[in-house]
Amino acid sequence: MPSVTFDDVSVVYSSQTDTGRGKIAAVRGVSFTLPERGTLGIAGESGSGKSTLAMSVLRLLPRNATVSGRILLDDRNVLELSWGALRTVRWGEASVVFQGAMHSLNPVQRVGKQILEALELHAKNGYATATARQARMLELLGLVDLPGAKAEQYPHQLSGGQRQRVMIAMALACDPELIIADEPTTALDVIVQAQVLEVLANLVRERGLSLLMISHDLSVLGSVCDQIGVMYHGELVEIGPSADIIANPKHPHTQALAAAFPTIGDPASRFLPVSSKGTGAMPIVDTAGSGGTDAPAGAVMLAARQVSVAFHTSSGVLKAVDDVDLECREGEIVALVGQSGSGKTTLVRTLLGLQQPSRGEVLFRGQPLVRTTKGLKAYRRLVQLIPQDPSGALNPKHSVYDSVAEGIRIHRLPGDERERVARALTAAELTPPEEFFRAIPQELSGGQCQRVVIAGALALGPSFLVADEPVASLDASVRGEILALLLRLRRELGLGALIITHDLGLAWNIADRVMVMHEGRIVESGAVEDVLLNPQHAYTRRLLEAVPSTAGNARKTPGEARLSPPGWG
Amino acid sequence: MTTVESDTVTQLSAPRPPSLRTTTRARRSERFVDGWHSFRQSKSGVAGLAFLLLVVLGACFAPWLAHESLLDVTLVDNDLNEPPSWENPLGTDPLGRSVLVMLLWGSRISLLVGVAATIMCMFLGTLIGILAGHFTGWRSAIVMRFIDFFLVLPSLVLAIVLSTVLQRGMWTIIIALGVTSWAGTARLVRAQTLTIEARSYIERSIALGASHRHIISRHVLPGVMPFIMASTTLTVGSAIIAESTLSFLGLGDPSQVSWGSMLKLSLDSGAATAGYWWFVLPPGLAIVAVVLAFTLVGRTIETMINPTLRAR
Repeated sequence: MPSVTFDDVSVVYSSQTDTGRGKIAAVRGVSFTLPERGTLGIAGESGSGKSTLAMSVLRLLPRNATVSGRILLDDRNVLELSWGALRTVRWGEASVVFQGAMHSLNPVQRVGKQILEALELHAKNGYATATARQARMLELLGLVDLPGAKAEQYPHQLSGGQRQRVMIAMALACDPELIIADEPTTALDVIVQAQVLEVLANLVRERGLSLLMISHDLSVLGSVCDQIGVMYHGELVEIGPSADIIANPKHPHTQALAAAFPTIGDPASRFLPVSSKGTGAMPIVDTAGSGGTDAPAGAVMLAARQVSVAFHTSSGVLKAVDDVDLECREGEIVALVGQSGSGKTTLVRTLLGLQQPSRGEVLFRGQPLVRTTKGLKAYRRLVQLIPQDPSGALNPKHSVYDSVAEGIRIHRLPGDERERVARALTAAELTPPEEFFRAIPQELSGGQCQRVVIAGALALGPSFLVADEPVASLDASVRGEILALLLRLRRELGLGALIITHDLGLAWNIADRVMVMHEGRIVESGAVEDVLLNPQHAYTRRLLEAVPSTAGNARKTPGEARLSPPGWG
Repeated sequence: MTTVESDTVTQLSAPRPPSLRTTTRARRSERFVDGWHSFRQSKSGVAGLAFLLLVVLGACFAPWLAHESLLDVTLVDNDLNEPPSWENPLGTDPLGRSVLVMLLWGSRISLLVGVAATIMCMFLGTLIGILAGHFTGWRSAIVMRFIDFFLVLPSLVLAIVLSTVLQRGMWTIIIALGVTSWAGTARLVRAQTLTIEARSYIERSIALGASHRHIISRHVLPGVMPFIMASTTLTVGSAIIAESTLSFLGLGDPSQVSWGSMLKLSLDSGAATAGYWWFVLPPGLAIVAVVLAFTLVGRTIETMINPTLRAR
């Protein structure tokens, strides 16, 4: 049973640049101890050095990384181990669950074979024969709640959650005593995330494993780990018991992380997304009237009437959207919540005229959508899309100016183009706008990219926004800023929005109404308070239960948290 | 005095570029300088480029370096098939003309045909490739079958047929090469177009109301351009070889000297079999050297676009 001790560990990456060899300190002087059978989570934003720190335990860093300090597994210094000794430590004693299971599994091999490979390479005495290994492989799949038949499938035939569980099974293959999990649930939706976390938590508890887990989401760490350390700019700024860190964070960065994921039902976070620029800088509640809940219900802007979208695939007809009715009013923020695969993106594409419905119709201001080239062009000026991944939504070769001016040029809007662009950038809180004109997307942070995308939409003077997971790929501290921006646009420009998300906390943060989508149908809709605090439909309840609670008491009993009827995940 | 001062102050407080077209141009020239810097890193690329410049200069100034009358059989008074000497450094051909002069004049036709055929091939290939990649469904299928048809067309046979239908000469060769070689480029461009069209900035553009034309000209074309550049330099080389082949088969203009027609003459007149190596080797080596130079430049541009190739 190893304990892991970090003693003044620093990691420096040297990279070749134009000006000679540049050095970037990714981790600076980090010291802490993960005790035997302990569970420790490391939280931090992208670029904080958390992954680098975790990978340094098994010396899995790229060649240009230089590690100093001491990393002790029990009393052996990992940095001084011989190659052979290191190899037996890898997988035999400590193993890794990598980030992004799709990329870490070989797409052309059956998953069972890939688990067997780990057994063959690191065969311990028990699994010398092929039949023993086969039996062990099936046992491993059982440990992560997967039926043995899944071993015969290829990675693309499994869902994201199943793939992640295969990764965990591989990590368990050689009975390691330490598991390092690098963002094991990122890119999974809440229900699947809850399942994967539960599998991990159970394994740690039942088998007495040590766990070092990395995430940007404090609530995820809180639901599995006893201790949490927070990293910021390569330094460990705070470490302590999970409940303490979450309940009363001391470092300002921890506070921002803790506040970024709101507790549903907490009135303090309603219409008040938290940003690192200061909590509650924009008290929207006061200006919106009593409690801010009664939305300014204007005329119906965007509506769908019995819309269905079916895709014809090789395995038959797939109904992505099934008989959906919805209404979005002027100046109203509506959240469309659902798991991945629930059809919410298809529904939004249909609303925007990017996808032809197989039945039903889309109405804009009471008029059916004109599907001619000209009609769509006019419509697309008024209803704007904010796509999922902001850095991908900007042409990497175009300057900020060109990206924002793109819509103005397409629609040949009159007036001074420069002034319109400057105004749009100012509205998206990129000030002074002149400084951003020449920048290209790679010079901007994710949050700034998202603001440029929003500015590009605002430049056309739209009357409604449709945002597809607007903050899913952003860091926690930026998330609040973007949400606050959406709220401010609503307040100042009366701009309504339909926001697709899998994050119920987001709906609690900014939406007036919420619609829950499940398998192509809208199963429940209503005011946010009604739906989230008093859910009627079983599926809504399941979604709410799956949200990891930041209160630190989320380690549910197995019976309560088991959310996996067959077919889920 | 005061005006100057206030001018500087405004410049400092608000760096207001005069117009955005100039900033775009400035960024472009900046990128060009950057590109040139990384191009210079490759010794082989620079060597190829230098050699090409030399050949192009020679071809351009051929009339001044060696007067056209030196190619007129009725005016030259050298011996036939004379081996290299101080007077004729590469000897003379079976008609008594200086091989060095012929080589110089031949480079004009070889380069012209190579470049013209490549431009035609790239223009057709890019246009049709982008159309095939941008449109989907039956429209794409029609374009793809069209590409497939030209892909299987044997260029040599087509060129021979064309030269019986059209006039024999340089333009026939250019058309024959252009028409038969664009299909491969089109497939490449189509694949590149597909990867660009999958990016989410294309969807954003459509949601902004962009037309097909806007998407192709603002997003797709600039995206595939670097690949076309690299592919162009590589294609010029093979076009020069193809030109030589066609001239060797006698499909070129007999009144004009090209490297391919020199080789044909050496075979027809028996120079190749009689051991007059000074007439056979120079055009052959010239073809190899120019094609190699184009390939070196093309590979260097390729590694600039795709830095992962650098280590290989």
